[in-house]
Amino acid sequence: MNLSYRVYHVFVRNLYSYKRFVVSTFLVSLIEPLFYLITFGIGMGAYMGYFGGKPYLYFLVPGVLVSSVMMSSTFECLYGTFVKMVHEKLYDSLVATPVSAEDAVAGDIAWGAFRGLISGVLMMLVSMAMGILPVSVPSVLLILVLMVFVGVLFASLAMIVTSVSPSFDFFNYYTELVITPMLFFSGVFFPLDKFPPWMKTVAQFMPLTHAVEISRAVFSGEYHARYVWNFLVLFVLEVVAFTIGVTMMKKRLIK
Amino acid sequence: MGTFISARDLTKKFGDLTAVDGISFDIQEGECFGFLGPNGAGKTTTVRMIHCVSPLTSGTLTVGGMPADIDNRAIKQMTGVIPQEITLDPDLTVWENLIIFARFFDIPRREARPRIDELLKFVELEAKRKSKIDELSTGMKRRLLVARALLNRPKLIVADEPTTGLDPQARHMIWQRLRLLRSEGATLILTTQYMEEAEQLCDRIVIMHQGRILREGLPQKLIDEEIGREVVEIRIGRGEDERLVRELAPFACGHERVGDTLFFYCRDGHDIMRKLVEFDLPNTWTRPATLEDVFLKLTGRGLIE
Repeated sequence: MNLSYRVYHVFVRNLYSYKRFVVSTFLVSLIEPLFYLITFGIGMGAYMGYFGGKPYLYFLVPGVLVSSVMMSSTFECLYGTFVKMVHEKLYDSLVATPVSAEDAVAGDIAWGAFRGLISGVLMMLVSMAMGILPVSVPSVLLILVLMVFVGVLFASLAMIVTSVSPSFDFFNYYTELVITPMLFFSGVFFPLDKFPPWMKTVAQFMPLTHAVEISRAVFSGEYHARYVWNFLVLFVLEVVAFTIGVTMMKKRLIK
Repeated sequence: MGTFISARDLTKKFGDLTAVDGISFDIQEGECFGFLGPNGAGKTTTVRMIHCVSPLTSGTLTVGGMPADIDNRAIKQMTGVIPQEITLDPDLTVWENLIIFARFFDIPRREARPRIDELLKFVELEAKRKSKIDELSTGMKRRLLVARALLNRPKLIVADEPTTGLDPQARHMIWQRLRLLRSEGATLILTTQYMEEAEQLCDRIVIMHQGRILREGLPQKLIDEEIGREVVEIRIGRGEDERLVRELAPFACGHERVGDTLFFYCRDGHDIMRKLVEFDLPNTWTRPATLEDVFLKLTGRGLIE
């Protein structure tokens, strides 16, 4: 894999182009998770009472933070990358410079993760304003690290989908059949322990489940040995997804 | 002056399709070398292998003594590419397009800024530095592509059909700029379907067809060898062919019937014209032979899709 520091050059290119869209994307990346916070958190939360001795919002917020990262980084590396690759032909001019195809794709994955981080941070600010605070300052910093980590994971997974996608329509399969179910089966909105055993098993195969577990632990500062397992699962998946995503995109770009 | 680019049995296959079929050529340092051919001849595929964005299927290819390979950043670092398609960044302004591209070549900002000013002047786009790409005309976009290709002061410039879709003014301007760059010592590779462009710019050309090189040489010499000096065109029905060929062939070095026209290729068209005046044929022209005649003779006059 021919990676170099030029990944950063590609990231900077995206930062330049982002200037024009920054306001609209702030709105878009806020609206959906905000919708979850209000409907589930305040509306439904009022009937839910306390979860483990705390208001429901404390249960909900950590999950919504990582899901908003998942959404933003996924969409950036599906639609954003597809437009750059097929419509704007930006990769074609990139690979004719010392920037390699791997640099270009990794730069876009880094960018997708950054977009995820922005969404996550915005959500965290909103929930802080609602009085839902992480337990300590180090836990805030750890959440930021987790957001980047989760962003790279979902950006890489999206890259794999983009690398085989003939058109925009194809992305619907991924968002409707993978991303949306993941949102509801990963324990973001309610604990998984009432699920039948087979559904719990399925949930273990969803990366968001593990991200939500870790996020909740970091948010509350209540750590447990099993989170090492959650982290290992995510880490291995991340390395594999990144490698496959970059390799398959390179195959599509270099003919 | 030495050999700068050398290809031996260069082959490129896409699945079952052989786009470039075992071609060999040498390009000297500082010359302008043209690849001519109809659509699908393999010109673009060949130059894409030269500037290392497409891997070879087989054969060898060296650029500046280094093997051409998609991971060879050193070749890309010294190459400027004017692509066939407009690959400017539509999210950025004219100036931003250039400053970002300079970054891809690791050109420090303090060097890039004056270089960009100089290049915008060179392609006469100074007034457009803050414009968005979709506010530019096609000619301006192509000129910006020229400026972009020169940011890294390339030793090798690859121009893949650089004037497609341009009006005569813009086309002549790009030709002038390319000639200027060549006179400053850059090696220039041009692909084109416009024979006039090849005659204007190239020291040597190859004519490609179906992945192979049909002829190689100096443009004027190729015209001389393949066609002669003059072409006589007679618009006339096929019925007269036999008589005309019998009468006129002795004065010509070749003839060809295409659609409504009978072509005679010759060293000197005077004798034929004199005969034609005798025959009283009105729709008759004589003109100098061009590279286009060579091209059409070699690659056929039928449409190539």
